[in-house]
Amino acid sequence: MDPLQLVWLVPGLPLIGFLFQAFFGKAIVAKLGDAAGKKVLGFAAVLPVFAGFAITLILWANLPTNTETRAVVATLFDWLSINDIHPLKVPFEFLIDPLSIVMCMIVTGVGGLIHLYATGYMADDKDYPRFFTYFNLFIVFMLTLVLANNLVLMFVGWEGVGLCSYLLIGFWYKNVANAKAANKAFIVNRIGDWGFMLGIFLVFAVFNSVSFYPSGHNLDRSILMEAADRLTNNPGLPMVANPALWIPLLLFVGAMGKSAQGPLYLWLPDAMAGPTPVSALIHAATMVTAGVFMVCRLHIFFELSQIAMLVVACVGAFTAFFAATIAFGQFDIKRVLAYSTVSQLGYMFLACGVGAFGSGMFHVVTHSFFKALLFLGSGAVILAMSHEQDMRKYGNLSKYLPITYRTMFWGWLAIAGIPPLAGFWSKDEILSHTYASGFLHGQGMAVFLYSVGLITAVMTAGYMTRMMKMTFLQTDERWRKLPEPHHHELGPQHEPHEVGRAMTTPLIILALLSIVGGAALAIGPHLFETFTHPSIGLSLMKPTELPGGTEALLIGLSIAGAVIGLVLALRNYKTQPADQGLGVPVRGWRALAEKQWGYDGAMYRTFVTGGGNFATLVWRWIDAGIIDKVLVNGIAKLIETVGVLLRPFQSGFVRGYAFTMLIGVVAIIGWVFLKAVVR
Amino acid sequence: MVPLSGYLTLSAILFTIGVIGVIIKRNPIVVFMCIELMLNAVNLTFLAFARYHPAPLAHDLAGRTEVYLAGQMYVVFVMAVAAAEVAVGLGIIMAIFRLRKKVDVDDMNILRG
Repeated sequence: MDPLQLVWLVPGLPLIGFLFQAFFGKAIVAKLGDAAGKKVLGFAAVLPVFAGFAITLILWANLPTNTETRAVVATLFDWLSINDIHPLKVPFEFLIDPLSIVMCMIVTGVGGLIHLYATGYMADDKDYPRFFTYFNLFIVFMLTLVLANNLVLMFVGWEGVGLCSYLLIGFWYKNVANAKAANKAFIVNRIGDWGFMLGIFLVFAVFNSVSFYPSGHNLDRSILMEAADRLTNNPGLPMVANPALWIPLLLFVGAMGKSAQGPLYLWLPDAMAGPTPVSALIHAATMVTAGVFMVCRLHIFFELSQIAMLVVACVGAFTAFFAATIAFGQFDIKRVLAYSTVSQLGYMFLACGVGAFGSGMFHVVTHSFFKALLFLGSGAVILAMSHEQDMRKYGNLSKYLPITYRTMFWGWLAIAGIPPLAGFWSKDEILSHTYASGFLHGQGMAVFLYSVGLITAVMTAGYMTRMMKMTFLQTDERWRKLPEPHHHELGPQHEPHEVGRAMTTPLIILALLSIVGGAALAIGPHLFETFTHPSIGLSLMKPTELPGGTEALLIGLSIAGAVIGLVLALRNYKTQPADQGLGVPVRGWRALAEKQWGYDGAMYRTFVTGGGNFATLVWRWIDAGIIDKVLVNGIAKLIETVGVLLRPFQSGFVRGYAFTMLIGVVAIIGWVFLKAVVR
Repeated sequence: MVPLSGYLTLSAILFTIGVIGVIIKRNPIVVFMCIELMLNAVNLTFLAFARYHPAPLAHDLAGRTEVYLAGQMYVVFVMAVAAAEVAVGLGIIMAIFRLRKKVDVDDMNILRG
């Protein structure tokens, strides 16, 4: 048997895990008691994910080595089949190619580590089985998303992860704020999904197919390439009506929703309401990168239109910069990381927009290492501080949480872009590809995008240093000055404690990955890009080769940027600046940044308050005014009036009726006579 | 011989008496009698016209002469219908009488609007 046909086990095992948790979770906890039951359930939740990772490794080992034909389709069954003028065939099939392997490894590998961490983090939660039910289900849908060989199946995973995200953000649903954050995430994602669905429809309308690769083995994409070529070289079609423009733009709307880009970013910071492992798994390492993955998977469509590429690049660069500015104004440790995630996702889209899809995916990989690490570390801090998230109430925690600090230290340097850690390699690749994108967007645009990226890199190092300083390194232990009740929750010694082994193990592994993960994939001439061929790569793009001197200069610049950001922030946050202390009102630009430059508020006023007002108007005027008053009650009134007018005629006196009839008969006969006489 | 106008005048007088009776009387039995009077006034008109203005003779396909007695036949129908009507009407009156122990047309106004 072909080992590649084992692919169904990758999402299948977590699916079994999900069913197990869903149907037996509560019973097991009830039967075995709290501690033992949770141990069994935690094991049952972690095991299938790591098993999926092992199978992914087997798939990887068995992938054909020929770089041109490294894409195998495994058909499970016929799913949708509609015989029409335009027959729609959507088989339930998985695509095994370098891209899906990379994503599977992140989802099962990093996801498994986060599962392991969650067994520790959620240990005191009474809804433990429910948590792992959702968590395993998320893995199932995420794997469906990345393995799907057609847009429809991908959409199933796409919506499924959205559902799990919603369920997990609102996991502690008794707090209304969490439920609202969950709703916000779900509703904002609907906008993106609207675009994605329209994109799928348009793809089907143009190509009569929604599959990435035809069923069967080892087929190349020449068919799709030919169709794409016909589209772009269709002089009869004006540009605004050309699907070559609209397919990528609509798909990108979907990517913006899922990956929190541009105007649709605003759900992600609120999504931090969920438990921290959720933030690490869904809102940092995997789900939010689905947008980048989708753009890379469908990069041929994006390459059809230079305008679409420019839109992707600009939205990415703008979001990267915008979110980085907001991160400076946040005091909630998870919110800093959330904006950092938005910003890093912006980098990935910037890479896609300049044609460097491979670099974008590379950043997805390294980002999943260090951002998961940072989130899990922040979770450890939050747990140690008994669910206090305000960094103004932290300080000097490196003394009390040595393992958390030492692991997060590497995540911090990695995201800042200090060589040779993971973040440096991917970020540097993105920046140099951006600089070299003159062939696509013109040299002026390329330099502009590059400078935005470089400034954002400086800022990234800055706000991460601010976070680390405020949490771990500033020596005043501000949490000691907090009112008593909080203080007492910290344990018998009134001090925060390092978290357990289940939580530190993933931190250590992720720290190792953050240290070597980038270099391992980047050393050698474009190792990662070569590996991901032919899934992604510069298939239609012919980038200008940068001269060796320029390349060295760019590397120097990005190292210098990281170091400058680091040093400035280290100096600035040696002790907590007076204007950012506890109980001090935030002033100046930081106040604006804390409020997301007013964007969130404006959106709230426009769509929530404004939408409510609009609905009230519609209710008052159209429903109550026109439909109720005129149509429903109006007709009743009319009939009543007619009835009142006609009532006297129905006297009930038979003789009266007879008399009326007589008058009528006489009148008719008289009229007939009169006519006869007149004639 | 009595001219046609004589029959018609009598018929008109009978009909008018019937109408006035229907309108002014409150006893349903009398109202019924007046209705009969009106029907018979109409019958008289039918017969008078049938007699004075008979239908022209007609021939059937075989050439035989046919006499139409349309007016007379109408009278027979009217009588039959009148009899049926009286049967139903008296039945209703009986039912009302059993229910209310009296029959007065003006008291039967529960269908008043």
